[in-house]
Amino acid sequence: MSSSPSETVVHPLQEFADRVADAVGGSAEIQFDTVKVRISPDQWVAAHVTARDDLDLVFFSWLSAIDWSNEVASGDRLSAEVEERIEVLSALSDVTDGRLVVLSTDLDKEDLRLASLIEIYAGANWHEREAHEMFGIVFEGHPNLIHLYLPDAFVGNPLRKSYPLLSREVKPWPGTVDVEAMPNQDGSDEPTTENPEA
Amino acid sequence: MTIDTDAIRHLSEASVSVELQTEDMTLNIGPQHPSTHGVLRLVARVDGERCFDVKPVIGYMHRGYEKLSEVRSYPQITTIVNRIDWVSGYANEVPFIVAAEKLMQLEVPERAQYIRLILTEMARISSHLVFMASYPLELGAATPLFFALRERERVLDLLESVTGGRFHPNFNRIGGVKPAYGSGSTTRKQPQDLPAGFFAETRDAMDKVKEAVDQLEDLVAGNEIILARTKGVGVLPAEVVVAYGVSGPNLRASGVPFDLRKTQDYLPYDRFDFDVITGANGDCWDRWHVRLLEIRESVKIVQQAVDGIPSGDLQAKVPKVIKVPRGETYVRAENPKGEMGYYLVSDGGGGPYRLKIRSASFSNISILPWILEGILVPDIIAIMGSLDFVLGDVDR
Repeated sequence: MSSSPSETVVHPLQEFADRVADAVGGSAEIQFDTVKVRISPDQWVAAHVTARDDLDLVFFSWLSAIDWSNEVASGDRLSAEVEERIEVLSALSDVTDGRLVVLSTDLDKEDLRLASLIEIYAGANWHEREAHEMFGIVFEGHPNLIHLYLPDAFVGNPLRKSYPLLSREVKPWPGTVDVEAMPNQDGSDEPTTENPEA
Repeated sequence: MTIDTDAIRHLSEASVSVELQTEDMTLNIGPQHPSTHGVLRLVARVDGERCFDVKPVIGYMHRGYEKLSEVRSYPQITTIVNRIDWVSGYANEVPFIVAAEKLMQLEVPERAQYIRLILTEMARISSHLVFMASYPLELGAATPLFFALRERERVLDLLESVTGGRFHPNFNRIGGVKPAYGSGSTTRKQPQDLPAGFFAETRDAMDKVKEAVDQLEDLVAGNEIILARTKGVGVLPAEVVVAYGVSGPNLRASGVPFDLRKTQDYLPYDRFDFDVITGANGDCWDRWHVRLLEIRESVKIVQQAVDGIPSGDLQAKVPKVIKVPRGETYVRAENPKGEMGYYLVSDGGGGPYRLKIRSASFSNISILPWILEGILVPDIIAIMGSLDFVLGDVDR
């Protein structure tokens, strides 16, 4: 079990993190007061049942994903090479002490399938639809896996790193192309603004 | 020809007692309906006066902030996130800034934290006052609107005096808060602080808000029509609410005493005395009442914070070009609408590698299909209004 880089003392959440990791059968890490427990995709549903029933993590906060990619169509490249994968995250909380755990699993980009959590947390419905359209993850067992935000005919998964930010393609950043030249920056010595009181 | 009146009467009674075979109708509400607080569309199957299979259609306002923030620098992102829940724009900035500060391991000066806290609570008061104004209006009572919006304007004036903006303050900086509007700019090397008279005006405004809350309570809580339209309508049981991730006042109205201000340490709320308000039944009435009482608690917090604000800097020492070290963290905060959080993944660059925005209204209205199943058509408005969502917060 790792801890956040700067810490040598036991983190106050360490005991909680270990308890969750033991119960769901994963490995816990604490980064900057956030408990993340890594599990394998086939444990996904069982881990959530355990979290809800045995660990009192009854509050479904959110579900989303991270596209770990070495090639990016927009934004900055990663500073170091990573293993290409889609990491799916779901955040569960209790409603007493405010303890939250992020369950994480890695999916192969060639095989983006994961079991749906709807039967366990009804709130997973929209979050899974969002992750489906944004990352292309197929949640098996989801009754209505259609676009949530995007138009029905939309093609592509916008939050994938391979998906270009189209506005950037049209107008590169910084957006100087539409900005008038600043006074005196066009090479002329003529003052472009006049102060009547000067 | 003789008419058998008895036979005619029997026939007419028989035709009434035959079960009416009506066709289901599809009812489309929105996306431009005033009660939808923006552009939300509902498609419902209506059988007589009851509606079934309600399908909310969202995304009319999706602005792709998560993708956008991958090509923006950290200081630029606060301008974007201001616009998520525009009724309480200030409150959206705080968890994001705190997340970035956490990765940078910055110690934020206490005075800046207090200012953040005061402004967050002001945002909460103004957001709840919008609800106090709009909800009775949706039920047909126009008068509370004027009381609530008048007081909201006081609070917005204060927010504006500090930040320069009524809705989109963009006042937080990594490491502290922006030198206040009207108090000298950084280039002039003058002491930077809140505008003169801010604390006195705040005390005054808080007293007036408190009075107005009493008035609103008299005006609305005693109204028989409002009671009839909200009591026992749209009941949300606690176990359903948590499974859908419904948070904030909607969660507390269902009797769950959970408030992130009490459990998280994103702002120094532990130094203030305030109560977590809960409702008993989880109906529309409770959701209204919890928000009303929460305004009083927020007023209490602001008053204590104004009295106890420490002196000192408004900014920690930060490099000119903000680079956030590598790491991941999730910071969540109790926003006026519920849990707002940012899962921030940084790779050590000037902008995030990935920013997951968890907004409250998104989860709060995902419960609509469940709660609107089998209810009467006029109750749709009462229930939707009571959830107090903002479409910018749903679509992000």
